[in-house]
Amino acid sequence: MRKVRHISVFILVSALAIVFLFPFYVAVLMAFKSPQETYDAFYALPAKLDLANFAHAWDTSHYPTAFMNSLIITVVAIGLIVTISAMAGYSIARRNKKFYQMFFVLFLAGMMVPFQITMLPIYKLGKTLHMIDTHWGIILIYGGAGIQMGVLFYTGFIRAISREIEEAATIDGCSTPGIFFRIILPLLKPVTATVLVLNALYIWNDFLLPLLFLQDASYRTIPLQQYFFFGQYSSDLNLAFAYAVMGMVPIIVFFLFMQKYIIKGIAAGAVKG
Amino acid sequence: MSVFKRTVKNEFWYVLFLMPGFCLFALALLVPLGMGIRYSFTDWDGVSQSLRYIGWGNYKNALTDDDLWMALINTFKYAIILTVVVNVLSLLFALLLDSYLKFRNVFRTVFFLPSVISIVLSGFIWSYNYSTGLPKLFSFFGFDNVTSPLGNPSYALFGVIVIAVWQGIGAPMIIYIAGLQGIPQEIVESAKIDGAGTSKTLWHIVLPLLAPSFTINMVLTLTGALKVFDLVFVTTHGGPAFATEVMSTYIYSSSFASYKGGYGMALSMIFFVVLVVVTLIQLSVFRRREVEV
Repeated sequence: MRKVRHISVFILVSALAIVFLFPFYVAVLMAFKSPQETYDAFYALPAKLDLANFAHAWDTSHYPTAFMNSLIITVVAIGLIVTISAMAGYSIARRNKKFYQMFFVLFLAGMMVPFQITMLPIYKLGKTLHMIDTHWGIILIYGGAGIQMGVLFYTGFIRAISREIEEAATIDGCSTPGIFFRIILPLLKPVTATVLVLNALYIWNDFLLPLLFLQDASYRTIPLQQYFFFGQYSSDLNLAFAYAVMGMVPIIVFFLFMQKYIIKGIAAGAVKG
Repeated sequence: MSVFKRTVKNEFWYVLFLMPGFCLFALALLVPLGMGIRYSFTDWDGVSQSLRYIGWGNYKNALTDDDLWMALINTFKYAIILTVVVNVLSLLFALLLDSYLKFRNVFRTVFFLPSVISIVLSGFIWSYNYSTGLPKLFSFFGFDNVTSPLGNPSYALFGVIVIAVWQGIGAPMIIYIAGLQGIPQEIVESAKIDGAGTSKTLWHIVLPLLAPSFTINMVLTLTGALKVFDLVFVTTHGGPAFATEVMSTYIYSSSFASYKGGYGMALSMIFFVVLVVVTLIQLSVFRRREVEV
């Protein structure tokens, strides 16, 4: 009886998994087939492993440029978010004064204001300050957006760290920045992993901000480049799908390697919220 | 040493530590929000340098704008249906994965996988599946004339919701799994010893103890869904016939395509107030429920 139930649950979950994987299957299938093969037998596997679509997509899409743009923006923005959030979180956690708590509330309230409602002024501001079509412009904006959640994580984590080490260090003549960089920062690894993975997924896949800020083709990130590529090659779908598969490989590899941290990060984020 | 000097000495580094974050926060949020509030009272077209203050004019126009009401209705329809479906399914998946199941980590990875790809990609893949892949599949089973829901005003919104469900199950499922693992095993076992069956244990013990996870998932999915932009923008652009126009895409087209910057900002501020009110209502409702449990 028990065994029957286990098997039926297994079959049910497997069926759901197939439904979930189906769109990926179609995408990969399209990427490896020629238009003629797709026309002849849509769901059949390709006759041979043909990488022609990928080679063609690589040549026409500036994939390496888009990949480097995504990588630079994501990595630098995350470095920035981690640094400024940890520093601000340290101040807020260690100074129990109204002045600092006011900033904490301000950052939290900021979470209620999404880019969707400030997109026009942010674009206008970006134009005025010459931030459009630069890497640093969009990175600074991601920094200002990322600190809101970052401060929440770091403040909570630092509050739980005992002050005794810091007090001892102060007596030994260590300055505040010294304490932060030598003692506190190395202790923050677990919470940094959380902040890192959550922001990595968000920034790598973000579409709205690149749409506003990265208009020149040489600055486009992967999602934005894909958006234009799909529009341009809407008649050659096999090519477009080859590019789609190329676009999802990096983030899926990242996910598979960092899965443990991503899952921990999401669960931790839920407890905080 | 004077009090002032000592305060400066004590606080100097802490204030300095706070400043980089605050400056970027001001750049990304405070200044644009302030500019947006100001623009919402002007007739600015979004491009030129000239603007004229017109008081509450934009807001008055917005209240009688049928398109705004349609966009608001679409947004809430989308968000409410999505929130309910995502939460029911992700809870079901979490319960299935939390039970005795072979390869459950593999299944968890599979269900989470759609969440990690960009919305541009999922929108593209699904648009094609709707227009070609699924009709071919259905004709295989003898159903012909299946067309893409995205092209039909009556079904387009549901077509978009299906994509959002596919991509949105992952994170809530993880949160429910974490919640389930946080339930002390003794409580479940003692209920079983007292003679409660699987369904009774689930209904009276497990689900009430999941209330915190439920709260956070409802709030996260609903506020996320209300802000939807990318998915609609890449699949339907708000069409056909305004059927999927949501607040974010309507703000975008007013601000950038129709050259009504001032009006677009008034829409943004109205939407902002709606978002804040919804979040506050949700938090108070669910937190109260949790205390009772």
